[in-house]
Formats: sequence, structure tokens, C-alpha cells
Amino acid sequence: MIDFLSPLWLVAAAAAAVPLLLHLLRRRIGARVEFPAVRYLARAEREHSRKLRLRNLLLMLLRMAIVVCIAAAAARPVLRVSGAGHAPTALTVVLDNSLSTSVIVSGHPVLDDLRARASQVVRAASPDDRVWLVTADGVVRGGSRSAILDDIAHAEPLAGAGDVEDATTRASTVAASAALPEREVVVVTDGQATAWPEPVSLGAVTVFAYRPAGDAPPNRAVVDAGAQPVRWTPGGAIQARVMTPDSATYRITLEGRTLARGTVTRDEPVLVRAEPPERGWTAGSVELEPDELRGDDVRWFAAWIGPAPAVRVAPSAGPFASNALEALVEAERARTGGGITIASADEVTSLPALLVAPSDPVKLGAANRALERLGIPWRLGAARHGETAVRAASGSVPLADVTATVRYPLTPRAGTRSDTLATAAGEPWIVSGPGYVLIGSALTPDASTFPVRAAFVPWLGDVLSQRLSADAGTVMAATPGATVVRPTGADALELPDGDRVPLPDDSLAAPARPGAYFFLHGGARTGALVVNPEASESDLRRLDPSALAARLRGRHATTAEDGVKFTTAIFATAPRRPLVAPLLAAALVALVAESAMARGSRAAAG
Amino acid sequence: MSTTRPDLLDPSTIAALGRIEIVARWIVDGFLTGLHRSPRKGFSVEFAEHRPYLPGDELRYVDWKIAARADKWVVKQYEEETNLRATIVLDVSRSMAWRGDESRLTKLAYAERLAAALALLFLRQRDAVGLVRFDDAVRSAVPPRVRTGQWQRIVAALDDPGAGRASFAPVALEQAGRLIVRRGMIVLISDLLMDPADVISRVRALRHAGHHVAVLHVMDPAERDLPARGDALFVDPESEIEVPAASAEVRAAYRETVDRALGEWRDALAGVGAAYEVITTDAPFGVPLRRAFAVRQRLP
Repeated sequence: MIDFLSPLWLVAAAAAAVPLLLHLLRRRIGARVEFPAVRYLARAEREHSRKLRLRNLLLMLLRMAIVVCIAAAAARPVLRVSGAGHAPTALTVVLDNSLSTSVIVSGHPVLDDLRARASQVVRAASPDDRVWLVTADGVVRGGSRSAILDDIAHAEPLAGAGDVEDATTRASTVAASAALPEREVVVVTDGQATAWPEPVSLGAVTVFAYRPAGDAPPNRAVVDAGAQPVRWTPGGAIQARVMTPDSATYRITLEGRTLARGTVTRDEPVLVRAEPPERGWTAGSVELEPDELRGDDVRWFAAWIGPAPAVRVAPSAGPFASNALEALVEAERARTGGGITIASADEVTSLPALLVAPSDPVKLGAANRALERLGIPWRLGAARHGETAVRAASGSVPLADVTATVRYPLTPRAGTRSDTLATAAGEPWIVSGPGYVLIGSALTPDASTFPVRAAFVPWLGDVLSQRLSADAGTVMAATPGATVVRPTGADALELPDGDRVPLPDDSLAAPARPGAYFFLHGGARTGALVVNPEASESDLRRLDPSALAARLRGRHATTAEDGVKFTTAIFATAPRRPLVAPLLAAALVALVAESAMARGSRAAAG
Repeated sequence: MSTTRPDLLDPSTIAALGRIEIVARWIVDGFLTGLHRSPRKGFSVEFAEHRPYLPGDELRYVDWKIAARADKWVVKQYEEETNLRATIVLDVSRSMAWRGDESRLTKLAYAERLAAALALLFLRQRDAVGLVRFDDAVRSAVPPRVRTGQWQRIVAALDDPGAGRASFAPVALEQAGRLIVRRGMIVLISDLLMDPADVISRVRALRHAGHHVAVLHVMDPAERDLPARGDALFVDPESEIEVPAASAEVRAAYRETVDRALGEWRDALAGVGAAYEVITTDAPFGVPLRRAFAVRQRLP
């Protein structure tokens, strides 16, 4: 197969028509010459017509060949040839070491097979090639072939899905940036469908993909687990979801202690209520019996266990706040007391407090003075009238069908660092900071529908426990290695073995090992970081080879299931020899032959 | 000095020096300067030697003085003078009026001067010489004579313009045969651009009649080697036949074909006992004269 690097020059090959036209029109040109011995000339042409025609044809073909060879050489052709050796190649091997590749098939992890295929490819590379390795977590490794082989041998399965598509894109970028005539990306993957959700554009590189033959084994996994609610006061529940083709036995632990056991059938949710004796931030897990894929048999969660927060509702907060608190007390998620104050902003004198905008605009000045006094970096602006939809911020409790009719725009002070929990008309409507939550409308039906909506009580319970409790804190969920934002006030991360890792930056990479980790502030736990693999990683269904090839949009994509054929395919097509020099040599030879033939006939005639 | 002999000069150079008869005289004089007298003996007026009498010899040639003195019969032998009647058959067709280069004579001009010189040479040998000019028919004929003024008549006939049409030699050859009463010699000077079969047939008839035939094939050098004219349409001036050709491409084949054709003429004429010589118009006149004279000298 021949490729042309500058195919536009092929147009110049049309000049080959010139010798052809001259050949065809040759007998129609020339002068009229009187010559008595025409009979000899006619006889010569008659007797030598075949030889003359052949010679003219050869001359014409040689001239056409010269033109075609030069035009083809200008188009910079390269020939793919099979056999030993290949053109210098920039080869990037993408090794899919995501969690799913640790599944055991025929007594060995799939990753062993993938490592063997990747090693074969690297070993087949020549010293003129440049080789890189990219793993599913996107890490690019370069170096000598032996170093790459060592990296492949030591590549361990990730605890999560990684991002194979992103790794492949990186691999194509690395290969394309190399100044070598051939650029190839070799993907060795288990072909998990969820890892290749959509086509990947890989530019002008050639892509070879390998996936093991056959289907993946059935898998059981805990795909979801969590405390409901996160703060148990002190009772709560563990909610979990198990992916199983039939039934599965599970175990729920809390701080290593078995909390419950049970059996769950397919698509049946798990819900276990408990009122454990532990207090404070606690780690728990939902576990299944081990199967072929061990990494997703355990799923972690974290819960805060302790007494419900004590809350006092001032009359200025309105009757709906009092009613909601009563509901929370009845559900043991709050208790009456003087810990947290819910009141109109102008009446609050201490934190923690849920401050609501005053129902009387006259009290706006007093409210802002109270905010100033409490150190809250927000101010209430002039009242605005008109019904406006309220939108909850991402990650907050949903606020369905909530509108604000009378609202005071919340204006931040310079350097304010706080959370916006909801907006109205694009402006902050509920904001939160250390020890306070501020609402931009009064909790009355004529100012907002919020207090009469169903979302109000759960929202209030969440705010009281998560943001206003003395030991308030949040549970953050992350996948292994993902980047998470450091919670306000957290200065260290406590590992399962008790070690502590300082958190100097505003963001941190989630630990690679699944588990429940705790944020610390001054040595005290203030929240949790729960690291679990992606639920989608437990779905081991594979793409068929053609579908996988369709996901890889390079210059040319080939997928193989047989390891030997895979390696052979790469180096059967990889060699690409530039044909410029042979074509120029052929043109030169044709030129010499043409000159010799033309000169020979002239010499013979002379 | 051989280089000063007119018969060895360049034909076009010497032809430019004068009329045919003058040029022909120079040529023959030069030619004879380098040639011994004919060794042939005859019964003429100039005594040469004695030989024994043989039965059948005419008694008037017996030397009676020696017979009386030595009782031995011998006969006197004399230089032969008029023992051959020759006719020059000259092709004056249109193809003969061609030359491949301005610096050369046309084939006809060359042939006319050669014919004049040949006639003069024969007449100097006391041979009777005649002339037949032809193209597609006989255009003029001078019967062979040895008398004074015969050469002038031949030269005058050569001055005739001629019709310059296509050539057809058999009729002329037949006419030449009729002009010679007893056995003689016929010299055909032509470019032979005609059907060989007709010519050979006629020559064979002449040979059967006892005549000796010599064919001088006159060619322009450009007819031996095709001139470099590039891609051209070559036209036969007689038949108007047109042949397109690229001279550079067919030159080798043309040369090969011409050589083969000349070989065919040579073989065919040799087959009927005729002499054949190829003369190119750039050759000094001495060359064809020597060849023709050699033929003449071989005759009995």
C-alpha cells in the first residue's frame, strides 16, 4: 500500500500526456520534402514497421515514465512493506489498568494478558523507534525500551476506572508530537463498554487496539452505599445498592464492627437502620462475598453520630420555622435548646444562627448592623418585589417550586469566602459561612413560598446538622485519584491507619485506595472523604471489536482479539519506506535509457 | 601529380569550369594520363607483332617477306581500333534532376558528364559509340559511329533538355540493342528508380543477343543516407507518392533497406551476366570511368 505525503503533486503526472500526444500527433507535423528514393523509404518503413513502432512506443513509455516518476517523487510516496524491519516509529502504548482489568479470568487477572500484549509490542520495537507508555490514570512514561518494559511489568490495577479515553488522547498527542515518519498508538484494553462511552478523536495517528477474546465474567458489586442521613442523631440508616445477577450476601460494618448481615436479590435496595453506640465521625462499609473482581466488593461510607443539635426559634423567624423544627425534633434530628438560633437578622446576637431577612423593611438597617456586629460579610440590599424563581446551588438540597416575592439582594463584602446555597434572579438568596446561614427573604408566605414547600423541612434539617452544628461537617464522595476541593477549615486528612496528611492547598487528590478518610481541623474530625470506585466500573460488559474500532478515530484503526495476530498486524503495516529516492533513480534510469535509445538510433543512422 | 588530374577532382568543382565537352576532354585526358594503352591487338594499320599463321587467317595479313626468308608463315598483328560498338543509355527522367545538397551536381548533370567522357574515351579507343536518352520513353538516340564528329553529335544530344518524366528503361535498352547491328556493349547510366524486373528482363534479352551490358547506378549521397530533415513528408517527384517519416528514427532502417536493394540489383544483374557499379555523385569522374573502362577492356 502506498501513501502520499504531498498528494497534490500527483496532478503534475498529467504532464505524462505530453509525450503521448506528441507520439500520436508526430506523423502530422513536418515539412514537405522532395525525395526521389521514396520507394526505398516506403520499403524501409514497411519492412521495419514493427521494430520502428516498438522503438517509438518504448521511447514514449520511457518519457511518460520519466514524467510520472518525477511527479510521484514530488508527491513523497511511502510504501508499506511487510517483512523484517520497519520505519522509525513513535509508538505510544496505552495500557488499560483500570479496576475492571483486575477481574480474574481463567485463574489470571485480565491485566496480566494486557501487560503481556503491551510487552510484546514494546519488545518488537526497534532501536530507531521511540516508545512511551500511558496508563489509564493518564500518567505518561518515556525512556528506553527496557525501562518501559519494567514500567509495564510493574503496572498495578487502579482502584477506579481512571480515564482510558483521556489516556488514549494523551497518547495520540505524544505520538503526533514526535518527529518520526510513523506515529502509532497501541491500545491494550479489556474493551469495557463503560470505559469507551463515546468516540475519541486521535488525529493522524494509526491506532491498533487489542481486547481479550470472549466475554467478561458475571460480576457482583456494591455500586452505592451511604448513611441516611449523614448525621445520625444518634439513629440513622445505611442505604446501599448491589449489582448482582441473582442474589448476594452482604455485610455492613461500622468502624470494623459488623453492624448487619443479610441477603439481597437483584435490583433490591438495601436499607438497614441502626442506632450505634459510636459517636462522632465514623467509617463504615458494605461488603459482598469475594468474586472475580475484588475491587468493587466493598463500598465505603461515613456518618456522623451524636446528639441532635439544640435549636431555638425566635418568634421573628415566623411560625413555619417553628413548625419545621417541631417536625425535626419529633424525628430526633433536632432538639429544642439554645445552641442554634433561628431568628430575623435584626434580632440575632450570637452565632451559630440561621438568619432570615426581616419581614418589615424598616428593620433592614438594624439587620445590617447586626450582621456587621456578628462579623457576617454579607449585607441586605433594598427590598425588591416581584415573584422570582429560586434555584438551589449544585450539591445543595433541591428547592423545588420555591419562589421569592419580596427579597433583599445579598451583597458580599470584599474578600468574602462563603457558600451560596440558592439564588434568585441570578443573585445570592441563601448564603452560608462559618456558623451562619443567611436567607434573603422572610420565612412568610407573602415574601416567599419557601417555608410552605415540602423541601423546607429537609433543607432546614440539613442546614442545622451540616452547617450550623458545633461539630458541623460534610461528607465528600470521590473516586480514587480525583481532585477534590479542601473543605473550609480542614488542615489535614486522617488516613484509615491513623496517619495524618497535611492539606496545605485548596484542593487535593483523593487517595488512590478506596476507604473513608476524615478531614481534621486542629486535630478534630470535621468531615469525611469517602473514596469508592465508579459504579460504572463494575459493569464489565465489553464492546465488540468493531465497536471498539469505531470508538478510536485515528487515521486508521484496527482491533484484534488474538495476541499474536495483534503484534503481527502492527509490524506488518508499520514499515513505511519512502519511495522518493527509488523513484528518482527510476526516472534517472529511464532518462539514461531514453537518451541511449534516441542517441543509438541517431548514431546508427549517422 | 594525381591530385591535379581532372578525372580525380571533385565533380562539382570540375563541372563548374566549363561546358560538357570541355570538361569531358579534361577528364578523359587526365584519365588516359594515368592509364596504359589498351593491350588488345587487332588487324589495324599500326603494326604490333607477329604470330604463327593458323588455318583460317586471312592471307592478306601473311608477312610474305618472312615466309620467303625463313620459310615460316607468320601473320602481322596491328593495334585494334574499331572492334567495339558501344551505346550509352542515359536516364534523363525527373528523378535524375535531383541533388541532395546544393554543393553537388544533380544526378543527371553528373551522368551527362560521365556519358560524354565515356563516349570520348571509347572513341579514343576507336570504338563506335552511340547514345540513347530516355525517361518514360526514348527521347533521343544517336547511333553508334566512330567517324569524326560523332562525339560532337553525342554532346549535342546531351544538351537536349529532355522531358524529365518517369523513367522506363526497357524501351531504351531495346532501342539501344537495335542500334547495334553486331555484338557490342551497352552502358546504362541511371538511378534505377524503376521496376527491377523490367530492367533485368531487358538486360537478359540483350545478353542473349550477345551484347555486353554494364550498369552504372548513379546515386546522390543523400539517397544512400537519408538526410536529417526531422519529421517530414517525403514526396517522390515522379510518382507523387508521399511517405511521412521521422528521418532520425528511420535512417538506420533506410540505410539497411538501400543496401539490400543495391545488393538485389547487383545479384540480379550478375545473374544475367551484366556488370554493375554504384556511383555516387560526389565521386570523382575517374572512378566510374575506370570501372566502365575495365569492363570494356575485359571484352574480347
